[in-house]
Amino acid sequence: MHSNTKNIVHSILYWSLPVLAVSLIIIIWIVFSSNHPELMPGPFSVWERLIKTFTIPIGGASLLGHVWSSLQRVLAALLISWTFGISFGILIGWNRAASAIFGSIFEIIRPIPPIAWIPIIIMWFGIGEFPKILLVFIGTFVPLVINTRAGIEMVDKIYINVGKVFGGSNAQILKEIVIPTALPSIFAGIRTSVSSGWTTVLAAEMLAARQGLGSLVTKGWQGSDMALVLVAVITIAITGSVLSFAIMKLEKAVCPWNN
Amino acid sequence: MSTDTKKLDEGLKEYQRQQQLINLKYRLLSAVGIIVFLLMWQMVVKLGIVNEARLPAPTAILNTIMFKIHNTPPDGNVLWVNILSSLQVALSGFFIAIIIGIPLGLFMGWWEYADRFLRPIFELMRPIPPIAWIPIVVVWMGIGLKAKGLIIFFTAFVPCVINSYTGIKLTNKTLINVSKTFGASNLEIFYKVGIPSALPMTFAGIRIALGNSWSTLVAAEMLASSAGLGYMIQIGRQVARPDIVIVGMIVIGAIGAILSGLLSFIEHRFLKWKVEH
Repeated sequence: MHSNTKNIVHSILYWSLPVLAVSLIIIIWIVFSSNHPELMPGPFSVWERLIKTFTIPIGGASLLGHVWSSLQRVLAALLISWTFGISFGILIGWNRAASAIFGSIFEIIRPIPPIAWIPIIIMWFGIGEFPKILLVFIGTFVPLVINTRAGIEMVDKIYINVGKVFGGSNAQILKEIVIPTALPSIFAGIRTSVSSGWTTVLAAEMLAARQGLGSLVTKGWQGSDMALVLVAVITIAITGSVLSFAIMKLEKAVCPWNN
Repeated sequence: MSTDTKKLDEGLKEYQRQQQLINLKYRLLSAVGIIVFLLMWQMVVKLGIVNEARLPAPTAILNTIMFKIHNTPPDGNVLWVNILSSLQVALSGFFIAIIIGIPLGLFMGWWEYADRFLRPIFELMRPIPPIAWIPIVVVWMGIGLKAKGLIIFFTAFVPCVINSYTGIKLTNKTLINVSKTFGASNLEIFYKVGIPSALPMTFAGIRIALGNSWSTLVAAEMLASSAGLGYMIQIGRQVARPDIVIVGMIVIGAIGAILSGLLSFIEHRFLKWKVEH
C-alpha cells in the first residue's frame, strides 16, 4: 500500500514537472512582455507578426521564402564542403607526407573562426550569393577535415596489417578497411558541419543580405520590430532542429552499425 | 649471450635512429609547406596577379602588426587593448557558463525530477544559435560588457550542460551498485563516483564551449561594440584596410589556439588518474 502511493506520487511528479516548466516559461513571457512591451513582445503579437509575414512579404519574400534562401545557401555549401572536406581529410589522414605539407597550413588557418572571415570575404567578393556560400564552406570545411582525419588516423593498425598480410593494395586497404572504419567519425564531422553551417549562414546574412532568415533578424532589429526578430529567431531554431534531425536519420541509414 | 644482447641493443639503436630521421623528414616537410605557402602568397601579390589593395603581402601584414602594437589608428585602440577587451568579454561569459552550466548538467543527469523539470526549458533554448540572441540581448542591455558576456554565456552554456549531463548519465552502473552495497548515500555516490566519471566528457564540453565563446565573441563585436578584435576587423573593413582585417584574423586565430592549448594542459592535469589506470 505504501509503495503504491509512492508510485502514484512519482508518476504525478514525473508527468507534471515538464508541463509545469513549459507553462512557467510561457507565464513569465506573458508577464514580462505585458510590463515591457518595447523590450519583449508577447506571444500573441509574435503570432500576429508571424501571420503578417505571409500576407505582407519582406524583401520580396514570405517567411518560407526566407527559410528557403537560407537553406539553399547552406545546402549548396554543404555539398561542396562534404566533397572537398572529406577527401582532404582522407588525404592528410592517410598519407603522412601530405599531412606534413598541407596539414601544417591547415593547422594555421583552422583556429580562425568562420565568422572572422566575413569582413575580408565581403571586401574581396562583395555581398552576393557566392561570398555567402564561400563563408559557409569555410565554416563547414574545418570540422569535416578534423573529424575525417582523426577517424582515419585512429583506425587500429592491426586491421591495416591484416589487409597487408592478405595482399591488399594500398588503395584496397583504404577503400575496404580504413574508410568504413572511419565512417562514424566522418559522420560526426558531417553533423558538426550542419550545425556550424547553419550558424555561419545566419551570421553572413545578418551582416549583409536581402533575403534569408539572418536578414530578417537584422531588419526587425533595425526597424525596432522585436516581434519580427522573435519570429525569425523561432523559425531559425525550428529549421535548425529539423536539419539536425534529418542528418540523424541519414546517419542511421548510411551507417546503421554506429551506435 | 652477451653478443646477442649487444646485437639487440645495436638493432634497437639503429631502429630508433631511423625513426628519428623519418620524424625529422616530416618536420622539414611541414616547414617547407608553410614556407612555400607564404612565398607563393608574397609572389602572387608582388607580381601583381592579385591587387595589393585587396590582399596585402605577408611582409606588409608583419609591418601592420608592428605598427598596431604602438599605434591606435584606424580603430582607436592599440592591439593590446583590443586583445584584452576581447579576452575579458569572452572569458567572463565562458567562466560563468562553466560555473552554472556544469553543476546544472550534473544535477539534471543525477536527479530524475530535476531532469524532468529543467530539461524542457533547456531543450527550448538549445536550438537557438547564439548569434540569433545578439539583437535581443542588445535591445535589452545595450552593447556593454554585460550584454556581450551574456551572448557568450548562451553559446558556452549549452555544451557545458549537454556534456556534463551525458557524462554523468553514462556512469557505470556497476560502480554505483558497488557503492550502494558498501552503504554510501546517494549524495556521496554523486560526488565520489558520478562526478569523477563524468569529468572526461565534461572537459570535452568545456573545450567546445571555449571554441564557441571565442568565435561568437567575434560576431558579437562585429555587430555591436566599441573595442576588441572583432571591432578592429569591422573598422578595417569600413576604411578598406585589408591588412588590418587580416592582422585581426591572425591574432584571433593565434589566441584561440593558445587558449585551446592551455585547456589541454589543464585537462591533462585533471585527468591524470585516467591515464594511470
